[in-house]
Amino acid sequence: MDSADRDMFRAAIHGDREAFEMIIRTMSRPLFAIAFGILQNREEAEDVVQDAFVKAWKSRWRVREPEKLPGWISTIARHRAYDILRRRRTVPLDEQLQEFAAAGNGSESPDDERHRQVRSALATLPELYRSAVALRYLQNMDYATIEQTLGLSNGALRGILGRALASMRKRLKPALAAMI
Amino acid sequence: MPTIHDQIDEVLAAAVHNELTDDERRALHVHLVECAECRALHKEEQLMNKALGEIFTDEKPDFGFEKRMLYAFRRKAPPRASVAVFLVNLMRSRATQLAAAAILLLALFEMGRFLTGEEMSIPFFRESRLASPPMAMNGQAAATDLVTSGGASFFPDKQGDAFVEAGRKSDTERDHNQAQEAVRSKSELGSAASVQAYRAKEGSPATTDDKRGTPLTSGQPAALLARASSNVPATSASAATNAEEIGPSPSASAQPGPANRKLIRNARVDLEVRNFEEAVQQIGGFASEARGYIATSSSDKQENGKLRGEVVVKVLPENLDDFLEKLRGVGDLKNQTIGTDDVTKQYLDTDARLKNAQAMEQRLLEVLKRKSDDINDLLAVEKELGRVREQIEQMQGELKFMDTQAQFATVTIALAEKDMDVPAGFLLKERAQLALYAQDVEKSYNQIKALASPKIQITNATLDRDNAGRVSARISMLIAPEESDAVIAKVKALGRVDKFQLQTERVARGGQGMSEDAKTERDKVQLNVTIAREEQEAPLQQTTLRVRASSVSERAKELRNLAEKQNGRVRASSFARDPNGREFANVSLRVPMKNYGSLMQSLSALGKLENVSVHREERPDAQIDEANAPADISIQVYSQGKIVPDNTGVIATLRRTLAQGAAALMWSVQLIGVALAFLLPWLLPIALIIWGARLISRARASKRAR
Repeated sequence: MDSADRDMFRAAIHGDREAFEMIIRTMSRPLFAIAFGILQNREEAEDVVQDAFVKAWKSRWRVREPEKLPGWISTIARHRAYDILRRRRTVPLDEQLQEFAAAGNGSESPDDERHRQVRSALATLPELYRSAVALRYLQNMDYATIEQTLGLSNGALRGILGRALASMRKRLKPALAAMI
Repeated sequence: MPTIHDQIDEVLAAAVHNELTDDERRALHVHLVECAECRALHKEEQLMNKALGEIFTDEKPDFGFEKRMLYAFRRKAPPRASVAVFLVNLMRSRATQLAAAAILLLALFEMGRFLTGEEMSIPFFRESRLASPPMAMNGQAAATDLVTSGGASFFPDKQGDAFVEAGRKSDTERDHNQAQEAVRSKSELGSAASVQAYRAKEGSPATTDDKRGTPLTSGQPAALLARASSNVPATSASAATNAEEIGPSPSASAQPGPANRKLIRNARVDLEVRNFEEAVQQIGGFASEARGYIATSSSDKQENGKLRGEVVVKVLPENLDDFLEKLRGVGDLKNQTIGTDDVTKQYLDTDARLKNAQAMEQRLLEVLKRKSDDINDLLAVEKELGRVREQIEQMQGELKFMDTQAQFATVTIALAEKDMDVPAGFLLKERAQLALYAQDVEKSYNQIKALASPKIQITNATLDRDNAGRVSARISMLIAPEESDAVIAKVKALGRVDKFQLQTERVARGGQGMSEDAKTERDKVQLNVTIAREEQEAPLQQTTLRVRASSVSERAKELRNLAEKQNGRVRASSFARDPNGREFANVSLRVPMKNYGSLMQSLSALGKLENVSVHREERPDAQIDEANAPADISIQVYSQGKIVPDNTGVIATLRRTLAQGAAALMWSVQLIGVALAFLLPWLLPIALIIWGARLISRARASKRAR
């Protein structure tokens, strides 16, 4: 993180709206990725991003160190997404996806079938893993940036993504075998 | 050390994500060549990477995403005009600062006013206070309008309030019942109304005729009132209502009751007449016309020669109303009450008891006729007979009394001659105040005391001498009227008159007001004299002047001589020399006015006269002889100094300016201190409240975030 960024964060914490709007410009896509990873729903993810920024603005004074601002905002977004997810849990994600798949069963191409399977495999991952995967594939972020965005320690992401992909691989073994 | 095979998941993921270091990549390739299992996994990993990439490409946010987020943020968290920011911005504005200063000053001013309790109202408050009553009265005025339109315009303003309700009703319904209601409340207003009633009766014979002729049926007053509630003129309306008010008693008496009814009628009339005797004669004439007579007559002569008395007249009941009507011609009617007493039941009771008693008497007489032998029985019967006869006589008397009472109506007429309150005489009380200046107070005091004689009484005399040797005296005396002028002149001659006041008071005896033929007597004259020493007399004219001379002390001596030559006295003198070498001699003289001019002329010989100022006290009320009145002259003889005094010049001015500046600075510091003393106690709690609020909101926010 360079000093310009840190200044921007500090200004935002001290109530500079322009600085904070700059943060919104730079961080809304990563946050969307995090929320989308958890929720698998664009509209809800957008809402989460909006709410997270508003909430972050309102309680910005709680951040003591400017460097931690992005991590903190993403934590807020994650918590918010979890809340929505929990509220939604009455209908599990798997079933939703299966229903969705069943609905469009008639004219389904092999690609669509594969995507559905990948999605359902993704849905089985823990939320943090899903966020990490989404950041990687949606935003094409490198590991260090993802770690910083999610507020993870250095090198932790490697294990997380490794386990995530391995877990999905195991679930998708038959489909992958068919693809080879 | 863990091998690549052990960490294959991580490494493969990093490999597809291009996150391996060169060494790691090489090591992986080496391992993949060796390990078929990992090769298969690597293949799968690559496929999955591709699939994931595919599913996420569709989900990427569109171009306008950031903008949308920004707008959402601006909408949901608008730049709050926080109180603190607002205040800070406000403080920056010059107008606010001025206003705050003005408010502070006003507050201080008001506070000061409150502390000192001084009365001073700010104009616009007074205006608003004046402006408010008319607004408040609008409703009331509207209500009064309603009353007027309802035909009840004869109500005076003050009573309007009480009839607002009635007036409103009559406006809407125009029903005579409502008008009656109003009239009933009107009748509660008392004597003023009843006096009006008589005037009304005199003014409109039609209504009285109604009353005296056929008795009023219940419909008639209602009809009159209905007329009152419509648009008839106010006076006739009031006449109608008042006629109704007193109507019932005469009309009830005129009603032909059962033949055997015993009604006792009586009336009381207060009249004011011009001449008592004439009135009594007139009344006697009227009484005999009405087949009545004067029962009693009494009179009482007042101190001022006016007569007051009472005449009781008996007239036949059927002529009573005629008689009362005629009485009005005798004088001014002040008051009248008419009453009827129904004694029918009492009469019948007495009659029955009388018959019983007479029967008893008969029986007792029969017992006596039987001639019993027992003497005791006879005595008892005799005794009983006596008692019964006494009862019979008593009852017969009662019946007879009632008969006469009922036969004649009693009219009690109280007569009073006009101008009953005219005073019998006047007393002239004179009080004189005299202030004297005398050369020798004590001598004058004794001289006045020596005047005492039977016609000159000294009621009070005091002589005061204070520590400084000043003497004053006060004497009060009562002088017989014929001596007063001579005595006052004598006392005046004892000294110089400063003030003389004569106050005359005319006191009425035995009444009030004016009287043409009442006698006026002079009472004893009270004279209060105060004597003070001549020295204390205020000068008629005061002159101050300055004389510049080279040798001051010499000139001062000359001045004394001059004064003595002109019959004057030196009252005070002083001599001073200041560090600059200037000499001053202050001399104050007193000379009689007649010598003033010549003294002033001779003064000009002393040197150049400067700064002459003359102050003359004109006393228009005092009769002083001006020639001997004292004139004071204060003379300052001084010599020219040589040194420029140190209260002029550049340095002195500079010093003064600095001192004034410092004083102004101190004053403003004082003001700031006062302002702080007012504000600080408020700032502390406000700060505490803000701090507490922030603590609470912080705690709540942290809970929510958790």
